[in-house]
Amino acid sequence: MVVEQMAGNLIQGLVLGAVYGMATMGLSLIFGVLKVVNVGHGAFIMVGAFIALLLFNTLGINPVLAVPLAFLFGLGLGLLFYYSVMQRLIKAPELATLLATFSLGLLLQEVVKLLFGSEYRGYNWAVGKIDLGITVLPMSKLYACAGSALIAVLLYLWFNKTRAGSAMRSVVEDSEGARVCGVNVGAAYALSFSLGIGLTVASGVLLTMFIPVGINPYMGGHYTLKAFVIAVLGGLASPYGAFFGGLVFGLLENGSYTLFALIPGVEPFALTRFFSFLMLLIILLIRPTGLLSEKRT
Amino acid sequence: MLLKLDNVTKRFGGLVAVDHVSLEIERGQFVGIAGPNGSGKTTLFNCISGVYFPEEGQIVFDDIDITRMPPYKRAPLGIGRTFQIPRPFSSATVRENVAVGAMFGTMSGQISVQESLKMADHTIELVGLQAHRDKAAGSLTPVEKKMTEIARALAMKPKLLLMDEAMAGMHPNDIDEMVAFIKRIARQEKIAIVAMVEHIMRALVNMAEKVIVLHQGAKLVDAPTQEALADPRVIEVYLGHPKET
Amino acid sequence: MNRVTQYYPILPVLLAYAILFIVGQTVSGTWQLVATLLFYCAMGQAFNIFLGMTGYVDFGYVAFMGMGTYGMALAITRLAHLPGLGAVVIVIGFGLALLMATLLSLAVGAVALRLRGAYFAIATIGVNEGFRFLIEGARIWNGAEGMIFTAQLVNIVGSERASRLMTYWADVMVLAIAVLAAAVTLFYMRNRVGYALTALREDEDAAKVMGINVTKYKIIAFITSACFAGLVGAASWALKTPYVFPPEVFEIHYTVEAIIIVMLGGAGTLLGPIVGGLIYGISKYYLSIFLPGLQLLVFAPIIIVIIVMFPEGVVGVLKNRTRNTALGRFII
Repeated sequence: MVVEQMAGNLIQGLVLGAVYGMATMGLSLIFGVLKVVNVGHGAFIMVGAFIALLLFNTLGINPVLAVPLAFLFGLGLGLLFYYSVMQRLIKAPELATLLATFSLGLLLQEVVKLLFGSEYRGYNWAVGKIDLGITVLPMSKLYACAGSALIAVLLYLWFNKTRAGSAMRSVVEDSEGARVCGVNVGAAYALSFSLGIGLTVASGVLLTMFIPVGINPYMGGHYTLKAFVIAVLGGLASPYGAFFGGLVFGLLENGSYTLFALIPGVEPFALTRFFSFLMLLIILLIRPTGLLSEKRT
Repeated sequence: MLLKLDNVTKRFGGLVAVDHVSLEIERGQFVGIAGPNGSGKTTLFNCISGVYFPEEGQIVFDDIDITRMPPYKRAPLGIGRTFQIPRPFSSATVRENVAVGAMFGTMSGQISVQESLKMADHTIELVGLQAHRDKAAGSLTPVEKKMTEIARALAMKPKLLLMDEAMAGMHPNDIDEMVAFIKRIARQEKIAIVAMVEHIMRALVNMAEKVIVLHQGAKLVDAPTQEALADPRVIEVYLGHPKET
Repeated sequence: MNRVTQYYPILPVLLAYAILFIVGQTVSGTWQLVATLLFYCAMGQAFNIFLGMTGYVDFGYVAFMGMGTYGMALAITRLAHLPGLGAVVIVIGFGLALLMATLLSLAVGAVALRLRGAYFAIATIGVNEGFRFLIEGARIWNGAEGMIFTAQLVNIVGSERASRLMTYWADVMVLAIAVLAAAVTLFYMRNRVGYALTALREDEDAAKVMGINVTKYKIIAFITSACFAGLVGAASWALKTPYVFPPEVFEIHYTVEAIIIVMLGGAGTLLGPIVGGLIYGISKYYLSIFLPGLQLLVFAPIIIVIIVMFPEGVVGVLKNRTRNTALGRFII
């Protein structure tokens, strides 16, 4: 019984984990290239969730289509924020970029609150479900999982098969070296920042499949924390590491929830959240550069 | 013997940045370390000052094994350091910068703030920065920053001063003056100087008693200056890298 | 600069707090606002000791205030039934608040302070949430239900004194904490700690090779800052409003406010937190009247502009302007 429950939850965790992973790729991409931690990460996810909600509720556009639209919106938002704020802080102390990204997230959160209010909302994209015996998976979650994997593959191809992608990779390795070799580092910064934001906003659409009534301007905070755990799991600077980190995190989250639920007298939901925070500290204590990465920093 | 490195090796992943380097520096000696970009000079400096710990080998300073000693404990033993791009503490004044050196970097340990500031004034006079004493270090010209950094290191009363590209970016006329100044101070205060340069430059060569040339992390040549200059391997290393001007 | 004149900058601090106190006491109907302003100044003063002096951002800072609140709450709820202790319970409460804030800062610091810049921020951002969920999840200290202890407080000091404590003395304690935090800040600035912290804030690697044990000084700043946060929590949250709910005392919103106050006033300056606290508190007060619920919408872009254009903050700019003048002696 417990074993079945655990197996079922782990399957759910893996499906969610793929989306978690995709939702963290943008964070890792931005850190890898700009060495900037986007502390406002979760707010961009929240923006994506609102885009999905609004497109679905007002125009009846289904979330599959909302993903590229949200990506484009995020790309634009990223460019706007890069050229208005981040560009001026590239040489500034870390304190400045941390506070700036944090404040940008705060700004988004407050704008969304102003426009749409702060109550919890959601939408229901009913496209059937499949019964695996031990657990039931809505098709919408499977689509989100497949979509995440597809985006991860596309990013991989873009990074490795295009000129712009390889220029970006060279900046990750050594920005000074890249500059000497004729790479326009400024453009690479702008591109990767906006690409990172685009991916993050798009991931917000996919995440709505898992939170039927959890869309709210303040939902981002939890995802920032989760994304940090996932990012350090996968090595902060590697988008693919982040993807696999997401899978691992999804399994751990659901696995630990299942176990905590067996302990009488505790709140398993809250403990699971504490557990993910504890995991973050433990990883940072053992290996700050990431458990899944074999590279140094 | 002031400093002795024995087979020091530092790796980054698969890359060997410093490859079994052994060398010796005498008290009060002026040594130039040369080598093209990427030859491992900075990493070697970082191993001596404690920013990195080597994977292999041993570093002995003043008869104390410092191989795995944290950097803040090495400074008071008498190891001072300047950086390629000067890194004074920008928001602090020149006086405060130099006082930090006296406060934390000297062997005598607990020196009070007031005393440190007095010592700083003395050092500032020595390097001729009196006019800039109360300015924020961040507002200085690059040469003044460099002098601030040197003053800060001198205030530590070091036995060994590691100078990273001390002359980089300076006007050729200033270089001679700077080298002569360093040499004079070094003799006066009995400091051994290890100056790192990308290129063997005339000004330095005239002053250095010996030159160590690194190539791809390994020691290529370690000889009295004139001998080192004539060494065909040195010529090959430098002429083999025509891109480096 | 001699031993006395170097402490002159405490004078404008004392003056500012004295004016604030007198206004609150003499102009009727202003005490509530003054109390709020004192809270912001105290929080800013406490946070500045870490963020301002080290340049590290602790996004989980509010957790220390939460710990302080729990410290006081535990003292009151667990000791209320003991006869004869009276107001000593409050003293024990402050002691417990200090102890718990220190313990948490040691635990967090042991992991986070080994890490540099960005990694430090990542390690701390979950501390407040993590603690909240530990308390709720493991049902520690009444879990998610929290504690309401007005009755116990009345039990201890009597109902008249309890209400005086909530409406007046708690605020005076916050004032005292703010002054103390400012004094400690200045003391640090004038001693080895301050020089070491300036050095490591500007360039940690250079500081290390200058002989500075950076970890030691970061820990000193971290614990000091956490202790003051604990005291602020104990006085302003537990005594002023005798209840504690985990989601409230671990709310990241307060860290946000502390960041705004410190950056607005000038990180690492002595007067910055007062200036920042006053500007923030007063504008928030008026915004809540004219644009209710939109305070953060106004402050988010302001903080971005400050970071991009005036990273030194108000007092930082003023300090640079008055450097080497007679006035400059008082402004740091």
